[in-house]
Amino acid sequence: MKKGTKTSANIVMTIVIVWLLIPLLATIIYSLFEDWTGIVPRGFTLANYQKIFTDTAFLTAMYQTLIVCVIPIAITIVVVLLALFVVTVYFPRLEKYVQILCMIPYTIQGVILSVSILILYAKGKSLLSGRMVMLMGAYCIIILPHIYNGIRNGMRAINMNMLLEAAEMLGESKLRAFFKVIVPNILTGITVSSLLAVGLLFGDYVIIRNLSSTNVNNMQKFLYQAMKRSSTEASAVFVVIMLITFAITAVVLTLQNRSTLEKIRNGGK
Amino acid sequence: MQQKSKHSMLTSRNNRYFYLLALIPFLFLIVMYELLPLIMLVVDSFGLDKDASVRFTLENYKKIFSTLSYQRAIINSLKITTISTVIGIVVAFLGARAAYNSRGKFRNVFLTILNMTSNFAGVPLAFAYMIILGNAGVIKQIADIYGIEFVRNFDLYTSKGLTMMYVYFQIPLSTLLLIPAFNGIRKEWGEANMLLGGSSTHFWTRVGIPVLLPSLFSTLSVLFANALCAYATAYALLMNNFSLLPVNISASFVGDIKTKPKLGAALSVVMMLIMCLVILLNNFITKKTTKWESR
Amino acid sequence: MSYIRFEKINKIFGTNHVLKDIDLDVEKGQLVTLLGPSGCGKSTLLRCLAGLEQVTDGHIYLDGQEITDVVPRRRGIGMVFQQYSLFPNMNVRDNVAYGLKLKKIPKAEIDQKVTQMLEIVGLSEKISQYPAQLSGGQQQRVALARAMVTAPKVLLLDEPLSAIDALLRKNLQIEIRRIQQQLGITTIFVTHDQDEAMVMSDMIHLFHNGRIEQSGTPEQIYTRPATKFAATFIGNYNLPSAADFNRVFHTDIAGQDVAVRPEIIVLSKAPVQPSDTLLAAEGKIVSHISHGNLIRFGIDFDGLPLNADVVFENRMDFTEGDRVFACIKKDLVIGL
Repeated sequence: MKKGTKTSANIVMTIVIVWLLIPLLATIIYSLFEDWTGIVPRGFTLANYQKIFTDTAFLTAMYQTLIVCVIPIAITIVVVLLALFVVTVYFPRLEKYVQILCMIPYTIQGVILSVSILILYAKGKSLLSGRMVMLMGAYCIIILPHIYNGIRNGMRAINMNMLLEAAEMLGESKLRAFFKVIVPNILTGITVSSLLAVGLLFGDYVIIRNLSSTNVNNMQKFLYQAMKRSSTEASAVFVVIMLITFAITAVVLTLQNRSTLEKIRNGGK
Repeated sequence: MQQKSKHSMLTSRNNRYFYLLALIPFLFLIVMYELLPLIMLVVDSFGLDKDASVRFTLENYKKIFSTLSYQRAIINSLKITTISTVIGIVVAFLGARAAYNSRGKFRNVFLTILNMTSNFAGVPLAFAYMIILGNAGVIKQIADIYGIEFVRNFDLYTSKGLTMMYVYFQIPLSTLLLIPAFNGIRKEWGEANMLLGGSSTHFWTRVGIPVLLPSLFSTLSVLFANALCAYATAYALLMNNFSLLPVNISASFVGDIKTKPKLGAALSVVMMLIMCLVILLNNFITKKTTKWESR
Repeated sequence: MSYIRFEKINKIFGTNHVLKDIDLDVEKGQLVTLLGPSGCGKSTLLRCLAGLEQVTDGHIYLDGQEITDVVPRRRGIGMVFQQYSLFPNMNVRDNVAYGLKLKKIPKAEIDQKVTQMLEIVGLSEKISQYPAQLSGGQQQRVALARAMVTAPKVLLLDEPLSAIDALLRKNLQIEIRRIQQQLGITTIFVTHDQDEAMVMSDMIHLFHNGRIEQSGTPEQIYTRPATKFAATFIGNYNLPSAADFNRVFHTDIAGQDVAVRPEIIVLSKAPVQPSDTLLAAEGKIVSHISHGNLIRFGIDFDGLPLNADVVFENRMDFTEGDRVFACIKKDLVIGL
């Protein structure tokens, strides 16, 4: 490795890192000081954090975020597990259609999905017109590609059909084998894609803004409102959001690295 | 059906259609929240907000292409999307190549930071930029003190500022997508280039980039879709004051002004068409420029 | 001075001392093979000559000039790698023309040289095809053409046939040798396959743990291995201890081990009289394995197991358990 290439590589990476970190670091610092109108901020304080953590609106928003993230993920996992099990084992020819249907949300993304659901359900009076129901439905669809990929890749990696046939030869029914053998083995894949989905839902603004009522807040909506009120408070909210997002990313990376190391250790079987 | 045959009913070949039941929840989700809404969207785009009885008319589309504010929305969207995508891919190429050329700890740090910041978009991103480059922004104040003109005069609340933020969230995504592609660049090619008398530039322009083209194009596709559909960042910075496709679409459905859902539906269809066009164009160009790949 | 000279070459990777005080000369126009097991340093020496690695210590001379600190592109060296040799986005013509285009040679001249070279390697009709459409052997031939078309001073081949299947490999060995002799280009060939080295080389340098264990012509190395390692690596030598061998064959070969080629053990059904120049012993057939044109008999000589190779036509129906008499020319036996 030529020395010159390595140095210029390091320079490029440093520039990108600095560019990416400046807004982040600046806001974190901003949240920790009373006043920053010069080069150096003055008055280190945790008052902003104190304020938000004693604010019921903030805590409610955190709680609502949790609900609104976890439930769609749970639903989608179950739905996709059932569908993929049945399709992979009994109707393999349907698999590519399932794949196409699961990949469509990649192109629709937040705006179009949310307004199209609004168009269909907002006017009606049925259960389906409930704002929470619309929101959950939209969220299930938006995370569908990630959950689908995670489960399908997991199934491929452990060669599901072969395992199920082996289980059948030993006397187990395919369905039981699915839950006793397959699911535990693809748990890492499911976890990783769930966390990716959490990250996605946690960062959503457009869907929840368009579909939910004003008293339902996720963290992004809360930040938007805080931003209009007080930038010091908002910066504290910002830091909380960032810490949660980073925590999720860190767990995903660790799990992914661990499973890659396992694959290497097992000799790529 | 007798008791004992229940088991055989489940396992008999003729009755594997029983298992189709497991597809019902999936189909319910897909139909109710993906397919029907999309169909409704397209159908409604041919309706009229003023007159609910009209079934099919191109009125909305005519309006979109003849009204200044909607034209501007399309142009602004295309402009910001294209600029941020192009800058994004250039930076991604340089960054991914840097990652390819280096080993060890610093490369891992780089990757980690890319992963961490890839989720940084929308409201938090806009907010952070307001903190540093807003009217009372920290960096602006520092530039004030040192008299750095172009920073002092920089107005964040313009399309320039918005583009800057779009570039910000395109960079981690595109770099992370491109880095694995560089694993396909064999060191033997670089060594052969060296021995045959070529420089690093010769290598990348004649071999490296051509070989990377498929990945570059697919990343371009992702970047384009990502930027075109971005809503939160623009809304957080400029609210409804700036014409942008996603913003105008949402405003036609939700907001203080009179809602025009059918027009919004037409706008959505236009946006989807733009995306499809770009994807098709992308695929076409990819096929033409990568004839050498084994099929 | 010889055409290529390596002087006291040392190369250290981290804590790994890969090349230890290598002195090596290569004459112009020769095909020289660096032979040895994986990790012995032979590829590293080649890459140092190419400039792809920097020597930790020592000097390299090419055609009278010191090139130790010269960048690879100025050394005038052509190289073929084990795999991924060709640029995948260019067809055969553009791959072969690559080095010529960089030299800014006029197009007509490039076309002529490319056509000529492709004819020499026998791939004229593939000129417009892409690497993905070629077989492994064809790709390596194109890589060869590309390396040679710029008329380099030296051609380096780094295990170019290791990824090719066995049958094709033999043909390519002969091809490469033919082309090399036709063009008279000084060539260094790296391989771990001793048969390959035998077929192709003017000189073989046997590498072991970063040093050159033995240098010589194929025949010299084959018939007179200098060390136990050389004997193990080359050919199919029997390596009994000198004590055992001397006991069974009633002789006094000096050294710790004795190297006996299987084909020098001559078998007969009748007893043989030993002499000053001929060793003899009696044994029992324990096994026989057919290797196509050779039959390898495993024979037990009073507790000493040896392999004897017999050409198929001369096999004399021996079976397991038969008594057999063997004789060996004494001066073909090597003490190590």
